[in-house]
Amino acid sequence: MADNSIKIFTGNSHPELAKLVANRIGIDLAKAAVMKYSNQETSVTIGESVRDEDVFIIQSGCGEINDNLMELLIMINACKTASARRITAVIPCFPYARQDKKDKSRAPITAKLTANMLTVAGANHVITMDLHASQIQGFFNVPVDNLYCEPSMIKYISTKIPNWKNALIVSPDAGGAKRATSIADRLNLDFALIHKERKRANEVSRMVLVGDVRGKIAILVDDMADTCGTLGLAAKTLVENGAEKVYAIVAHGILSGKAIKVINESVIEKLVVTNTIPHEDKMAICPKLDVIDISPTLAEAIRRTHNGESVSYLFSHVPE
Amino acid sequence: MRGIVVFSGSSNQALTQRVCDRLSCDPGKSFLAKFSNNETRVELYESVREQDVYIVQSGCGHVNDNFMELLIMIQACKTASAKKVTAVIPLFPYSRQPDAPFGKGAPLTRAPPMTMPSTPKTIPSTPKTSQPTTPMTGDFGMAPGITRLTEEMNGLELMGQEMFRLSGAMTGSFYDHPSTTGGYRQWVARSGTLVAELLTCAGADHIITLDLHDPQYQGFFDCTVDNLSAFPIMIKYIQQHIYDYKDVVLVSPDAGGAKRATSIAEKLHMDFALIHKERRRPDKPQKHDLMLVGDVRGRRVVIIDDIVDTGTTIIKAAKLLHENGAKEIYCICTHGIFSGDALDRIEKSYLDKVIVSDSVPQDEHTKLCSKVTTFPVAPLFAEAIRRIHNGESVSMLFDPSHELF
Repeated sequence: MADNSIKIFTGNSHPELAKLVANRIGIDLAKAAVMKYSNQETSVTIGESVRDEDVFIIQSGCGEINDNLMELLIMINACKTASARRITAVIPCFPYARQDKKDKSRAPITAKLTANMLTVAGANHVITMDLHASQIQGFFNVPVDNLYCEPSMIKYISTKIPNWKNALIVSPDAGGAKRATSIADRLNLDFALIHKERKRANEVSRMVLVGDVRGKIAILVDDMADTCGTLGLAAKTLVENGAEKVYAIVAHGILSGKAIKVINESVIEKLVVTNTIPHEDKMAICPKLDVIDISPTLAEAIRRTHNGESVSYLFSHVPE
Repeated sequence: MRGIVVFSGSSNQALTQRVCDRLSCDPGKSFLAKFSNNETRVELYESVREQDVYIVQSGCGHVNDNFMELLIMIQACKTASAKKVTAVIPLFPYSRQPDAPFGKGAPLTRAPPMTMPSTPKTIPSTPKTSQPTTPMTGDFGMAPGITRLTEEMNGLELMGQEMFRLSGAMTGSFYDHPSTTGGYRQWVARSGTLVAELLTCAGADHIITLDLHDPQYQGFFDCTVDNLSAFPIMIKYIQQHIYDYKDVVLVSPDAGGAKRATSIAEKLHMDFALIHKERRRPDKPQKHDLMLVGDVRGRRVVIIDDIVDTGTTIIKAAKLLHENGAKEIYCICTHGIFSGDALDRIEKSYLDKVIVSDSVPQDEHTKLCSKVTTFPVAPLFAEAIRRIHNGESVSMLFDPSHELF
């Protein structure tokens, strides 16, 4: 049992999630004002003492990513210079996670840069959720807890999707096969894969289905839904190959650009995302959108980290 | 020039073009944009292997976006085996904390609502009147135009014209008088060291900047910093464009800039005056009175400052100088940020002319306000880059008698 207390701060990216997490733990959010000066520089004011406390800063990489990232860095640095005992950055959706390798000449590895920046700012620990590539944990020199939405997704499928026993899990690309098979195994369902050829960034061309979906409900599983080009085309391919209904479950629903339009016009029955990214405004215009609340997982992780207990429970169970 | 590649960030491409013209090279080909989810996208189309790379990016406009762009470009060049990466940052971001008095009460008296998205075209409205002077009491109204984002800010009360009432419990006044509670005094985070560390961790080997607000800032860096000075150019401007300049009085708008103003006044053998913010009463520490130290009656004056941001300082100074009998009032500053409604207020103020450098792009500003003119600093940066690349001394650049143009 730790002798200091938990302090949860939030930036402007997703304050609702932070409030849910704090409520779950049973404390109030710590006082802080994070705003902008008139010349667009970020300003952070910490409103309570953090000396020798266990500080958790919840900030997701969504919306205005650069602004939110700078807010997070400045808050971490502020707590460090204020003698906090340990500072944990809780980043449900890790920014720039997709730029994690040098795939062409002079491409930056921005995920590594972000990891360096977090460490330099003073983070001692990072908690994140469903990293695009779990190898990104290796970019850090500090401990990283990569939590999974998988238990929450499994709970959703087994409780909210009617006739789920007649479903099969489909991965919309080859890279997500491992993720989809692990869910399929846990639920004892069949598995299929869609192989796509990508021409340019955020543009998809041909799709080839590997597996049999005739007469079944198809559940597409992926980690991110950004412009939803992949999901829309995958759903179309599945229906053309005989699937009855298509659901899509995604960990991070970024839904930028024309994504909502694509989803509304596609054959997808329901798009289920987690609340790592705020969605109130999108739910109003997209009736197919449903949200899984992952704040219990984050709250449990924070509580266990603070008390020095094992977090492994969260890799296969959803806290009630 | 050989062995050198100059890239431009998106903050001030015109300046980079002028710098490259002076260096007789072309700016490096690159593609700078944003992905659909607002992440920064950087693609560099020239080889930088074993080259001396210079990346020119100013900390203006949307500061965080431009700063991230700079960091990503530095990282891209470093991982592409550049020999040395130099960040040329004319206006250094986060070099000062604007409006941060540490008296009792909120430092953020004029912070605009944090709700605006990135495009700086929609500049959030700032209050036109000067900063509020009374400490807050209990009751606040919701400032107009605040969207849901401010409601999500966790239980905090703030001082100022724009006062935010936050949903959730107002658990006690955030600003209890220190004598009654003796409790925690909140403070604003100073991001200076953090920015220095971030630049170094991204891989910058060298920083070139112009008129850093705080000269001790160079000590925050582990790498070399060249803090160029715009003074020689400003001195030359005064000599060439202000007739009979020896009759003009140089004024510093606050005590902190006194050293800057006196050093120029000495070189040009001009008279000098100072404006001082005097705190009147100890129980109301937010109320300032401006006092003029020196005589400007019937004289033309030139206010010297390093940064013009909201313009409040120089507008108040101009009013005071006018009340004290100054005939014509000019203002010369290195960095003209002009955020919020600064240009409108300058148009209506007693200032006759405001002269700034083009470290921050000024095309829009000169169109909006007839009183703003610019002096170029591109030759200064081009010379610095040339000398640094060739391993020559840059001391000449600090000498006003050296011909740069």
